[in-house]
Amino acid sequence: MTPRPVGGSHGVFLVGWLVGSLLIGFILAPLIGLAATQSPGVLLAVAAMPDVREAIGVSLLAALLAAALASAAGVPLAYVLARGGFRGQSALAALIDLPLAVPHTVAGIALLLVFGRHGMLGGPAEQLFGLRFWGSFAGIVVGMLFVSAPYTVNAARLGFEAVDPRLEQVARTLGVGPWRALATVTLPLAWRSVMIGVTLTFARAISEFAAVAILAYYPMSAPVKIYELFLQQGLGQSAAAALLLLVVSLALFLLFRLVAQGRVATGIGR
Amino acid sequence: MTAPVLEMERVGVSLGAFALRDISLALAPAEILVLMGANGAGKSVLLETIAGFHAAAVGRISIAGRDATRLPPEQRRVGLMVQNYGLFPHLSVAGNVGFAIRARGGAQDVDIGKLLERFGVAPLANRLPHDLSPGEKQRVALARALASRPNLFLFDEPFAALDTRTRETLRDDLRRFLREAKLAAIVVSHDQSDVHVLADRVAVLHDGALQQIGSVDEVFSRPANRYVADSTGVENILSGAAAHRLLPGMPNATLCLRAEDVGVLAAEARPESADSAIWLEAVVQDVVRLGPITRVTLDCGFPLVAALPRPEALGLAVRTLTTVRIPRASLHVLSGAGAPHG
Repeated sequence: MTPRPVGGSHGVFLVGWLVGSLLIGFILAPLIGLAATQSPGVLLAVAAMPDVREAIGVSLLAALLAAALASAAGVPLAYVLARGGFRGQSALAALIDLPLAVPHTVAGIALLLVFGRHGMLGGPAEQLFGLRFWGSFAGIVVGMLFVSAPYTVNAARLGFEAVDPRLEQVARTLGVGPWRALATVTLPLAWRSVMIGVTLTFARAISEFAAVAILAYYPMSAPVKIYELFLQQGLGQSAAAALLLLVVSLALFLLFRLVAQGRVATGIGR
Repeated sequence: MTAPVLEMERVGVSLGAFALRDISLALAPAEILVLMGANGAGKSVLLETIAGFHAAAVGRISIAGRDATRLPPEQRRVGLMVQNYGLFPHLSVAGNVGFAIRARGGAQDVDIGKLLERFGVAPLANRLPHDLSPGEKQRVALARALASRPNLFLFDEPFAALDTRTRETLRDDLRRFLREAKLAAIVVSHDQSDVHVLADRVAVLHDGALQQIGSVDEVFSRPANRYVADSTGVENILSGAAAHRLLPGMPNATLCLRAEDVGVLAAEARPESADSAIWLEAVVQDVVRLGPITRVTLDCGFPLVAALPRPEALGLAVRTLTTVRIPRASLHVLSGAGAPHG
């Protein structure tokens, strides 16, 4: 049950709601505007365009992959940061946050220098494994991963920090090894935070434009396609494509949130 | 003599700036040892070392006759009970107990239903820990620990943060359980009443070193040094002129005297004999009623505290004159601070 304000703090809550409503309106207005101004005809026509559908598919798949990679590497890192107590821990935490502070055009150029054709990783990866990042699907994933991974690490770290480490100790004394204690006690208890982090990572990844456009303009991801439609066809088609992307990504975002809140059965965190 | 269930021989553990030093102790089967010490003394580190979470840099730990010095926690068979009992909040009561059974490979001879019944928590099998009272949590945690077939129990301040009545009830339950199950345990506690209710022996730790280990009477009446005297709640620690006045034959001695050993009589009372007791005139400084005991602060030329069960008959009031009786046998000379003993 939501606690009600007591002790004469109603005024504070009222002002909070009033001021907060401005922000809520500020967030909702463009989204409502986008939805309200679309004619069904244009929307259906744009939805039928193969390159728009392909771009949305690329974005969805790349964002899912970025979220999967962020959780595969970020969740263990989050556990180390939460439990570590090692020298340089706060410097490492600050480094994780760096992509949030860097302008994404800067991130794109930096990624291009490393993962581009002659980059220190991009060159050898193409020569040795035939894996090209510049102008490729892999490049889109790399761009998305760079800007969105901190959300998974930070949320998972907070989740792990909230789990009493003595529960793991108790589990060990009951007879399970460290990995099983992690899998059966700590991870289920931190599961919601991890899922919130993955959700935010997915949301941030699918919305990334600048870093992706610089490193991998082609194949076109949805934000790049919307930008191109805006430049070539004007507001009508680009707004319709934007609404389509919004609906698809919001649906997935909500699904992730429901999983994180435990309203969709996963077998974890039960 | 029965082989000890736990034996530590000169164990040393280094954890950055803190270290456990030269810990030697043995725990007999079914023996309850209460471990006392100030915050930061290393009590939890000692329990965690026994449980296997800190590697002993030197020394040897054996559990149930087996060298456990290098064994990981899951192989030591030690039941660790932390504050609030450490029930897994995402698992039901049955899930918590089942966890321990599965962890030991699903022992066929452990019936989860019977175990829950034995601890009176069978009707709560599907409840989550946050729905349980402290007493129910303790019973579930004991059932869970017992399901893992421990050789001994370690309790890290199990009654901290509980109200007095709940604390007393749970402590009695725990004592009954440990006596019936005939299991050895080490209980970390700050509370002297835990010692009197639970302990067969008591140990005092200070700055990573055991200061004294012995029977409750021995440690409380004859503390090895000032740390032990402080930890066991000795109210009167006297040195200098005060000590010289009570024991003129021992210059530079530091004495300790428990408040309950100080007798207070009406001002006109006269000593029958000075052989077995020291008689002093004193002025009452303060009288504070603490439940069944009244704490009287006296000025005998040096401050002295007495704990009296029924002081009303004496008509004690602040600034009145009274007579103090100190049995010579209750005076204990402390050895140098920090010197291990026992």
